[in-house]
Amino acid sequence: MSGGVYGGDEVGALVFDIGSYSFRAGYAGEDTPKAEIPTHVGVVDDIETAMETDSTGANSEQPAQPDKKYLIDTVYMKHARKGMELASFLKDGMVENWDMFEKVMDYVYSRSIKSEASLHQLLMSEPAWCTKSKREKLTEIMFEKYNIPAFFLCKNSVLSAFANGRSTALILDSGATHTSAVPVYDGYVLTQGIVKSPLAGDFMTVECRKMMDELGVEVVPPYLIQSKEAVPDKQPPKWKRKENIDVTKSFHNYMVKDVLQDFAASVLQVSDTPYDQNAVESMPAVHYEFPNGYNQDFGSERFRACEGLFDPSVIKEAQGNSMLGVGHVVTTSVGMCDIDIRPSLYGGVIVVGGNSLIQGFTDRLNRDLSNKTPPSMRLKIIAAASSAERRFSSWIGGSILASLGSFQQMWVSKQEYEEGGKGCVERKCP
Amino acid sequence: MATSSDVRDILELEGKSAEPEFVTKESLMNDGKKKKVKKPDHVTFKRPEGMHRELWGLLWTDNKDPPPIFPSDSNQGYKQLKAKIGSSRVRPWKWMPFTNPARKDGAVFYHWRKVADEGKDYPFARFNKVVDVPVYSDLEYQQHLHDEGWTRHETDHLFDLCKRFDVRFIIVHDRWDKQRFRQRSVEDLKERYYSICNTLTKVRAPQGTEPKIKAFDAEHERRRKTQLVKLFERTQEQCEEEEFLIGELKKIELRKKEREKKTQDLQKLITAADSNVDARKTERKATKKKVAPQMKFKEGGATPEPGGIKFPDFKQSGVTLRSHRMKLPASIGQKKMKAIEQVLDELGIEFNPMPTEEIVANFNELRQDIVLLYELKLALASCEYDLQMLHHRHDTLNPSKPLSTSVTSTPLTTPTIEMPPGSITTPTLPTPTLSLSTLTTPTLEESESLVSEPESPAITPNLGTIGDDIIEDPSSSRKKAGEIDVVGTPMRKRKAAMEQINILKKMKQKY
Repeated sequence: MSGGVYGGDEVGALVFDIGSYSFRAGYAGEDTPKAEIPTHVGVVDDIETAMETDSTGANSEQPAQPDKKYLIDTVYMKHARKGMELASFLKDGMVENWDMFEKVMDYVYSRSIKSEASLHQLLMSEPAWCTKSKREKLTEIMFEKYNIPAFFLCKNSVLSAFANGRSTALILDSGATHTSAVPVYDGYVLTQGIVKSPLAGDFMTVECRKMMDELGVEVVPPYLIQSKEAVPDKQPPKWKRKENIDVTKSFHNYMVKDVLQDFAASVLQVSDTPYDQNAVESMPAVHYEFPNGYNQDFGSERFRACEGLFDPSVIKEAQGNSMLGVGHVVTTSVGMCDIDIRPSLYGGVIVVGGNSLIQGFTDRLNRDLSNKTPPSMRLKIIAAASSAERRFSSWIGGSILASLGSFQQMWVSKQEYEEGGKGCVERKCP
Repeated sequence: MATSSDVRDILELEGKSAEPEFVTKESLMNDGKKKKVKKPDHVTFKRPEGMHRELWGLLWTDNKDPPPIFPSDSNQGYKQLKAKIGSSRVRPWKWMPFTNPARKDGAVFYHWRKVADEGKDYPFARFNKVVDVPVYSDLEYQQHLHDEGWTRHETDHLFDLCKRFDVRFIIVHDRWDKQRFRQRSVEDLKERYYSICNTLTKVRAPQGTEPKIKAFDAEHERRRKTQLVKLFERTQEQCEEEEFLIGELKKIELRKKEREKKTQDLQKLITAADSNVDARKTERKATKKKVAPQMKFKEGGATPEPGGIKFPDFKQSGVTLRSHRMKLPASIGQKKMKAIEQVLDELGIEFNPMPTEEIVANFNELRQDIVLLYELKLALASCEYDLQMLHHRHDTLNPSKPLSTSVTSTPLTTPTIEMPPGSITTPTLPTPTLSLSTLTTPTLEESESLVSEPESPAITPNLGTIGDDIIEDPSSSRKKAGEIDVVGTPMRKRKAAMEQINILKKMKQKY
């Protein structure tokens, strides 16, 4: 015990937080993860290519099956390679491709953590809607394959709440694949109140893509560019294409998405009030230069692209009207909870997730919510200022939790697993 | 700078065992003790002959030290606050295994811990608090806990969840197995749980003792929740309407209060006027019966506070000037003062008459009446104003229906008291009749009687003429009395002043 006030206990636990965009891994008790690697993994079918990469030493993985090669982490997967398909091992936030997942775990232990799995307790995050079978399978793999001494699964929304110093809150997580509102009460997720919407980071890149098509801007990812020259504003770009590039469609799409993500992060802004062409025209334009040298100012477009997040009715090909805007996600979620806890939920709406870092996101949310909440409720929106705290909120929460002295009794130990089987995770990790 | 303790540390000498092992604030903030020891001896230096005091003050300052001869580093300057880290020994930490007594499986984990604490209990185990959820046996269930609405399995499930989630009913409700059991509200769960707890405590309590019962009123809770939901689901319009209505209510109440206050003030004025008149009447009777004037004065003092001016009682012992009794209290405003002066002027009474007993009393009464009259006029003016306002409003709201003539007939156009001494009817006044004649005439009669009194020869000539004047022409004097300026627009004032001049001219002509 390093001090009664601090309440921490250094046990050398690891914290893994799997998001739909990236996988965060690090030691409990630290303030940022040691490694953040993309959740997307390059898969190469070709044996020859695999042999090739082995010889170049680009990947130290020992392939379980000789005909499949997994390329993990930015350096390897973002390198143009013939026949490499990019795929995520997650689906709806839950692990779908266990094979690929194990590869990623191998990689994380050997390259990021650089330590034996059997020496460290492991705390992992999971989405609030994770199914029982997935959790049990995960537990099984971690105990059987990696032989970890103790394991704990915690909902990522609970961890986000802890990272923001609350045990009761409404977590609004706007990540890559979905925006979700999860009520957390006393450190437990209220499963009845979970609301999800597909309007999130990926939706934004799709909108950006549509916008580029409308504007007639060709988005060329950097891997295709041999050289480029500076051109004046709005002039056709002068660039030379790399020759002999043969990549799969999934790789190309991923790289284009990468560019658009950068564009979204640096240019897009949510308007404070519902989209109004006149109001938006008066806002300053932002200059952006694409990888191929094309550059232009973006004025009202940068507001229009993200209006759909808050007002799905502006989306052109709205698939039905089932999608919920961000503000609506929150109110719907709170509305499904018991009336007694609604005030405390509204009193702590915690905004997390990388997509919430778009300029003006919290301001607009604040406005939408104060219009929708009854006047008897006190509304408080909590949003960490730094981008790391928002993107890694659940990892940070896990780091705090796993390093607490009073948490050490919560682990599912190896003994317990051996006695109770994989079902014990359901009982011990609510 | 290495201290001796550092050297000892390096050489691993256990010299000073008395040194504190832990870093305290004092030791960090660098020895408070040493300074206390070095208290300078009280050495005083005499100022040399011929040296200026200011120069000596510069040299020989507060610390009473002689000026230094050459610059030196006095150990204390900025170094004073420097923390002395590492004054105590380093306490080693060790990566060691531990078992947590809060765990049932006895799993062994490793953690960093001070070597000194090795073997001690895990310090965080004491935070493991467990909620006490009662357990019932099959027999108990069959005998006492059976409920029509609940099966045994359902009850077991409830208690299992309560134990798992430490009786957090919101979570229990959230995790309730809806496939196996029917949906239940939080209140249902609470009701069942508390009823079982209470039954168990009752059953288990030893004979003759009264066990503590947890009170839970499910019906009340349900009602409370429905009300909360209703409150929560109010629309924006409803909220705005409520706010608007509350605002209106406040306005109405405020107006009501104002009106009440006004009528109260009026009532006071009128009763004051009435009581003054009554008092005067009795007084007059008394004088006719030739009661001693001194007695009369005392009686007058004893009567309930007459309207107008409050003259202070002279209760202090010792000698006072009687003229002090005539002094107007400071609480009277400038306007009233002016009004009094004006009337006195018109009546030709001097401001400071000879203060004989009787004159003082009468003079005071006169002035009281003047003020009262002034106030009544004010009230009348404001009432008329209100009436006109209402009239106007009525006209604008109901242009087709003219007001009944009884209201409009009141002499609104006469702001000065030109009206007959009869009765004025104002609808807003609580007492419809207000006799002005009774108000003004007694005073005049009084002054008349005052003239006839043989004890007041000093002011006879003056007052006598006035009295004559009044008797001669009561209506004109009433007119004069009515000339009191109802302080309003400057126009009115000017008008009053003009009339006053006219009257003065008349009076002069008479002489």
